[in-house]
Parts: sequence; C-alpha cells; structure tokens
Amino acid sequence: MTSVTPITTTPAVAPSKTERPSAKDTVRGGLVLTVVTGVVAVFWISPLALLVVTAIRPLSDFIGNGPLSWPSAFTWENFSDAWDIGNFATTYGNSALLLILKVPLGVLISAMLGFALAKLRMKFRRTVMFSVFLGLTIPIYIAIVPVFIMMRTAGATDSVIGLIGPYLAFGIPFEVLVLQSFFRQLPNEIIEAARVDGAGDWRIFWTIVLPLSAPALVTVLILDAVATWNEFLFALILLNSDANKTLPVGLLNFQGQFSNNTTGLAAGILIAVVPILLAYTLLQRWIVAGLTAGATKG
Amino acid sequence: MTSLSPRRRGGRWRPWLFALPALTVYVVFLVYPAVSSLWFSFTDWDGLSPAYNVVGLDNYARMLDDPVVLTAGKNNLIWSLVTIVFPVTIGLALALLLNGKVRAKPVLRLIFYAPGVLPLVSIASIWGWLYNPQYGAINSFLSLIGLGDLAQPWLGQDSTALWAVMVPAVWLRTGFPMLLYVAALQSIPAELYEAARVDGASRWRQFWHVTMPSLRSAHYIVLALSLIDSFKVFDMIYAMTYGGPGTATQVMGTWMYANVFQYYQAGYGTAIAVVITLIAIAVGIPYVRSQTRERAA
Amino acid sequence: MTGRSYTRRGFLALSSVAVTGLGISACTGASISGGGATAPASNTLRLFTYEDDTTIGSLKAQVKKFDEQNGTTTTVDSLPGSGAAQYPDKLRTELLGGSGPDIWRIWGGQIGAPFAKAKQAADLAPYYQKYGWDSSINTAAVQGMTFDGVKAGVPFTARALGAWYNKELLAKAGVTDVPTTYAELEEMNDKLVAAGITPCGLGGKYGWHIMRLFEYLLEHTAGPELHDRLLLGQDSWDRPEVIEAFTLFKKWQDKKWLPEGALGLDPADVGNWYVQGKVAYDIEGQWTETAAILAAEKDPKDFGVFQLPTDQSPARHSGFVEGYMINARSGNKDKAAALLDFLLTPESQKAMQIGSSTVKGAEPDAETTPLAAEWAEKYGDSPFYTIQDQAFPKKEADQYFSIQSDLLQGSMTPAAAAEKMQEIVAAWAGN
Repeated sequence: MTSVTPITTTPAVAPSKTERPSAKDTVRGGLVLTVVTGVVAVFWISPLALLVVTAIRPLSDFIGNGPLSWPSAFTWENFSDAWDIGNFATTYGNSALLLILKVPLGVLISAMLGFALAKLRMKFRRTVMFSVFLGLTIPIYIAIVPVFIMMRTAGATDSVIGLIGPYLAFGIPFEVLVLQSFFRQLPNEIIEAARVDGAGDWRIFWTIVLPLSAPALVTVLILDAVATWNEFLFALILLNSDANKTLPVGLLNFQGQFSNNTTGLAAGILIAVVPILLAYTLLQRWIVAGLTAGATKG
Repeated sequence: MTSLSPRRRGGRWRPWLFALPALTVYVVFLVYPAVSSLWFSFTDWDGLSPAYNVVGLDNYARMLDDPVVLTAGKNNLIWSLVTIVFPVTIGLALALLLNGKVRAKPVLRLIFYAPGVLPLVSIASIWGWLYNPQYGAINSFLSLIGLGDLAQPWLGQDSTALWAVMVPAVWLRTGFPMLLYVAALQSIPAELYEAARVDGASRWRQFWHVTMPSLRSAHYIVLALSLIDSFKVFDMIYAMTYGGPGTATQVMGTWMYANVFQYYQAGYGTAIAVVITLIAIAVGIPYVRSQTRERAA
Repeated sequence: MTGRSYTRRGFLALSSVAVTGLGISACTGASISGGGATAPASNTLRLFTYEDDTTIGSLKAQVKKFDEQNGTTTTVDSLPGSGAAQYPDKLRTELLGGSGPDIWRIWGGQIGAPFAKAKQAADLAPYYQKYGWDSSINTAAVQGMTFDGVKAGVPFTARALGAWYNKELLAKAGVTDVPTTYAELEEMNDKLVAAGITPCGLGGKYGWHIMRLFEYLLEHTAGPELHDRLLLGQDSWDRPEVIEAFTLFKKWQDKKWLPEGALGLDPADVGNWYVQGKVAYDIEGQWTETAAILAAEKDPKDFGVFQLPTDQSPARHSGFVEGYMINARSGNKDKAAALLDFLLTPESQKAMQIGSSTVKGAEPDAETTPLAAEWAEKYGDSPFYTIQDQAFPKKEADQYFSIQSDLLQGSMTPAAAAEKMQEIVAAWAGN
C-alpha cells in the first residue's frame, strides 16, 4: 500500500503488437478475420446507411413511397433546406460556443479535483470522493424542475451561458472518476522530484500531471463533447427563444403537428453529427496511441 | 498510499483550492436541486400553480397502488442488466477482434463507434422503420433467411417491445467500451503474453490470466459509464415507444416525466424520481466504494 | 460552501429557492418563488407557437405586417410538434415562475384547460366584445376554447376528421361508392381484404391515432347524446353501448382491417400510407391534403374523402380546435389582443393559408386544396364531437390508450375494458 505503483500498470508502456511469428498463418488469419469483421461492420452500419439514403432523396419521394423503398431520385437540396429549417446558422453557433466554453472548463475543474483527490493529502478525502462519485447515479430529470426554478430566479434561463452550470455539474462525477484513477497511476517519484526542485502544487499540476495524462484527458474530453453536443432535456427546458437554441432542440423544427419533414431531418442530423465524427476521427489516434505514450520521459 | 508525504509548506486547506471549483458547481447544480426535489416529493404540487400543500408521505404510499410503478421498476431492472452486460461484452469482443490482425482498423473503429454520436431522434425513427411489421427490414430479413415465422410486430406488443428498444440501445452503446478496450489492449506488454506462452498457457488461459487482469482499469471506466446510463434510462424509451404499447415499456424515468410534465402531478412524479434515485444510489454504492478504496496495486 | 465563486445574483436565486424548498414549515399554502406581478407595459410582444417549417414563415410575415402598422416588436418562437410532443410541457415550464410568452398557441379541450384553470390564461371576454369575435368566429369552435364558462382562448382553426382514401385501391377492390352506413363500411373493408389490401391505416404509438377509430365506433354505437355525456363523465361507461364499441374495435383488428402490428406503428409513418398505396384509407383531418397528398406531389384527384357513417342523427365527426391564449400576467394584453384580432381577419387567415379556419370568409381554396374545400362545403356546418385525446386530460387519455392497447392485444375483454374506463373517468370527473 505504499508509494509507487508498479511500472507495468502505469500508462508508461511502449506500444507493442502482440503478434506471433508464422507469417503465412498470420496473413491468412488476418484476411478471414477482416472479412468476418467487415460483414459485421456492414450490418452494424446499415441503419446509418438508411439515414444517409433518406437524406439524399426528395421529401415527396419519401412520403410517396415510404422509408425503406429505393429512392426514385436523388437530391442534395435537403441539405440546404435543412440548414435553413434547422436554423443551423444559429444553433450551430450556440452549440459550438457551449462546447468551447463548457468542455475545457469542465475537464479542467474535474482534473483539479481529481488531482487533489489522487495526489494531495486532503482532509475528508474519502468523503468527498464518495459524495462526488455518488453523483454518477443521480438522473438529470430529478434535478430539472429545481434547476429551472433556480435559473429562472437568477435570470439565467434562455441563455446558452446559463446551461454551463448544470452541464458542468452533471459531467463532473464521471470526469473526476476517470481522471483521478488515472492520476493515481502516475509515479509519485516524478512528482516528488519536481517538489524537490521547488515546484508548487499548481506548477506540478500544470507541468507534470496534465501533460502526462493526455490520454485520459482526451478520452474525457471526447465523451464530454459528445454528451454536451447532444444534450436535449436541459436545453429544451431552459432555452426559450429561437435565437438561443442548441442543435438538438433545433432538430425539433423538422417535426410538425401533422407530418414530419423526415428527409430534412435526416440531412439535418448528418449536418449535426459531422463535427463530432470529425473530432473523433482526428482524436482517436490520441485515445488509442495516447494511452501508450510515455510518462517515462519524466 | 499514493498520496504524497506530509506537506512541507502550506496547510491542509491547500488541496481544497483545487477541489473547490468543481465541488461548488457540483453542489449548486446537482446536489442542491436533487435535495430540493426531495422536498417537492412531500407535497401535492401540480407543477403549475403557485401554491401547494405538504402531504407528507402520501405520494410514496400512492406508489404502492400504482401498477405502472411496478411495471416500470421491473423494466428498469431488466434494462439495466441487459444494457450493461451486452454493450460491455460485445465491445470487448470487437476490441479483441480489432486488436488482432484485421485490416482497415481505423475505418472499422469508426463504424462501430459512429452510432454512439447520433442524436436520439434519429435512432428512434430509423429503428422504427426497421421494426415495421409489414414493411420493415427486420421482418423482411427474417423471411429472407427462412425464419418468416419469427416475424413479429416488435414494438407493437407488450411481450417484445422492451426487448426491441434494447437492441438499438446496445447498438449505440457498444462503441465506447470497444474504443476503451482497444486502447487498453494495446497497452498490454507483449512480454506478458510471451511469458504466459512459455509457461504453456492456452489462448483461453492467456485471455483470463493476462488480458482480463490487465484491462482492470478499463473495466472500471466502462462499468461506470454503463451504470450511469442504464439506471437513468429515459430518452431512449421516450423517443422509441413513448412508454407504450399501453404502459408496457414505461420505466421510472419516463413515468416520472409523464407525471411531472404531462399529468400535472409534480409532487408524485418527483417522489418517483426520488425512489429511482435512491435505488440507483443503493446499487451504485458498492461500486463507488470500490473506487474510493485505496487500490492495492 | 456554495457561495464563494458564485455571483451575487445567482446566490440570491439560491437563497430564494432555499426559502421555497426548506423554509416553509408544516402545512398549507406554500408557494413557488418568482413573482406573480404583472409585467410592465411596453411595445414588445412574444408569441410562442408550434408552427412548423412549412407555415412559420407566413405567420411571421403577418406578425411583421402588424408590427409595422402598430409600432410594436413581436418575437415569434416556435417549438414544432404534435400535441403529444414537447410543446405543452415546454409551455408549462415557461409559465412556471411568472413570466412566459404574451401570447401562445394551444389546442382546445383538456390540453388548453390547465392553463385556464391555473389562471395563467387571461379571460378574453372583454376582447370578444371589443372585436366582435362572437359573430366573426364559428360558435362551436369558441366552445372548445371556453373553460368553466370563461373564454380563455380564441380559436382560429377547427379541424375535422374524416376518411381519406385512395381511389385506385377502392376501385381495385370493386368498391364504386363510398359507404353511407356502418354496414357498408364493413362490407367495403371485407372487399378490400379480399383484394389483398389493408383497409384502414392507423398507428398505435402515442395512442391518439388509433383512438380515432374507437371514438368513431363509440359515436356509432352510443349516438351523439350519450357519447357527449360519456365524455363528460355524466354517464357510466360500464354499459352495453360501450362494450359493443370495444367489441367492434377488436373486430377491426382481428379481421385485419387494420395494419399488422398497428399498435407499434408511428402515426407519422402510417399517416402517409394511403397516399403510398399501402392501405386504402386513413382517418385524418383536412391537413392531410397538404401534409401527405400534395407533399408527395400526387394529384388530389386520385384521392377522396368522406364522413365516416355513424348511422346516427345528427351525423357528426370528430373534431378539435386550436387557438391562442393571452398571458394573464402580460403587461401588454391590449396589444396582444390587437395582434390576435389582426391575425383573425379573413385576409390574414387566407394569407397564412389556414386550411380549416374558424373565421367566416376564410374558407379553403378549391384551387389549391380541392378536397379540403369539398369537405368544408359538404360537412363544414355539421356538428362535431370533441376528439377524445382532448376530451380527457393527458393522464386519463394515457390510461384510456392503455386500455385500448390491452384490448387489442387480447389481454382484456370488451366488458372489462368498459368497466375499467368507467373507473378512470369516474375518478377524474368526480374531482
């Protein structure tokens, strides 16, 4: 129970391919596996393909023939229509603003708390940890009415900025959980060494803990970004005017009292998920490679 | 344990400087609202009028006579079990596949992860079309492979509706465990496997004695995530079946929403929310304790 | 612990909620914070509606015209969707705590009722008088916006439900004339099934779509007077007429006059099936001509509409109204009413292409929507019964849908269903 975690469980291990020799077997086995996985993947993605097909067929064709028919024509118009109907010029901006302000802030304060819990000798540490992790189990809907009343009284409803507080709060338990468990695996020697060099907690946090924890931070960042981008309930209840709506609420514009503009919706959804998929594609290298990146250089 | 030796300068209050921002937000926007909900659950507030009466435990007593609460509770239980077990196992299986000699890994990873980023409205519509008894792809596929007898009105009958909603839930929640497991698998040092092979361990034994233990921290994160999502299930059901047919797929979350926002019974609805939260906390406690315990690495 | 980094305003908010939540001791009369005071008068108005992308533009254009003439600034916000969607929930939350829009659009019946009951909607009687709405607007429709004798809203559209059918499919099954009696309707269904065509496209998700069949069957078995009394809870549901209606309802499913697995189908999909040729007809309102037929770029000539035959006198159909309410706490009630009066002129109604306007002189255009025009001409003056999902509050409506679902799945007999309905309605009407 003391000081150092064995080096094997730290994230400090070099990437390694657990390959076995026998080159021929490997190639054939790889091919078979690829085909099998490929088939699974095709099935997996097929509902999504339906979404894409719906997005590029005319609405009249969709209403006239049904969702699972083969389109009689293709069109890109849904995308430009969707841009207007979904009020994306506004909602995109709002969601992006929220993302830029909320996600880094949430990760930062969670990392600070996680650092205090993992590496500092804090009074009531376990009590704090316990109460924060318990937050994992609290459903959003139990808090929604009180949060609404609170925000209303504070004059913070109908504002994108006003969403930041509740969003932060509901993100904290998970982020702290992941980050503190990652921080705990950082070797104490590195931190002790820095301290001997005269570094304070704040500097240690910024120059050692955070850089060494890039993979955990990126993981938390992505998850939090997806959750923030898609959050619906708080946004629905707290935002009123069209000018302040976020993407998921804007997507409601495609439904009507008596009919839905489903092709527009499909196009709208594709427009809405592009940034997230893009971010994921760019960052996935980090998640995967990052976990194996070196803390050893410290 | 892992904490550093006693502080040289500054007092014990200093760590609180790091803790305070997050804790403040957490208390103000989560703890406090949750606790004040507790208050509403002792009232007959309709959620609309300015006035209400305190009715003590009446709302809780009422739940005992509400058949929907029973259905919802049962559904929550089934839901949690299934949507924890399946995404995690399938995610792990996929990760093992993708950690092998498969080509085009980034594309495959993207494919398996993609459903997880879709907004729920789209998932509800797409799967609704697929499940359509007459024109849907699922029944058509069943007849195609000669299993036409198995074709069902999946979302249209009490016996299958909940299970039918769980399929897309598993579908969209498998991606993240997979991603984490892929990452974790890559960080297992090859030497461990080599050592095991030298000892003559079979692949099966290697999996249980090398792979699984090394994935421990990944397991923790995955389980945490599943736990959060499973108990609080709300929007998936709301979007796909609206609790129906009848009340067959109601869960505590949707039933609470109906009472607070649609039936003008905010007091009663809040009591339901309180109960589900208490259960979630009770179930979550062992997990949370395991996380706060000092890890004997 | 809460204060430190939080703003003063936020802190005040917190403490005031704390008062609400914890400070009020023991018994009665607690109240939610957030002032009941009337907002000060100004030249800005906010109108909240559920207009979708096809109609929001023309509403905004009319509002703008009003603003230009009157020097006001009106914001129009919309949260589109059906009555089962988020709009009523959202509106309710907005009004909670004291502010909310000056004007909001709402359905009549029990969807609008809570806002009148909680006195959040202003009594519009003075404005009815001032603008003569009593004479310019359809009287039956006004009833749908009157709650406990208070005119808390002003209706601008009255929707009527009939059977919209695909001519080609009827011809294929050898049906030459639309049914004029219930027996003929059943006969037509049999012919359609024999020709391999599903007769009636209704979906059970949310409950309100498939309900349109049951309420029609009840009108057929119970007749106008009894039906109305049943809806008000003035007569017991546990009676032969109701049991017969439930029995017929089950029969429609068992004889495959409804699509397979109808209970799980989404009305948004099924509502287009008669246009797609997947079912012969559907019970819809006049909106379907624009929303389904014209939206699919089909020719209205290939479709038709008839009133479902009830074998009763007078012959009625299901209907519902939609209108506007004015916020009782608005500081701008007069201007809000002026805006409503402007929107309720025949010119504005026509400009907004309100398909089933309550305003005299704004009948549907036979050029653009021939079928809706035909309906208005034939049945426009025929009386209607309140569509059942607006006759009951949401909670009772959901319980009722649940009975329908159990009945259709065979887990409840018609007699038990009638008994259960009586329990539900009695508990509600007894209050």
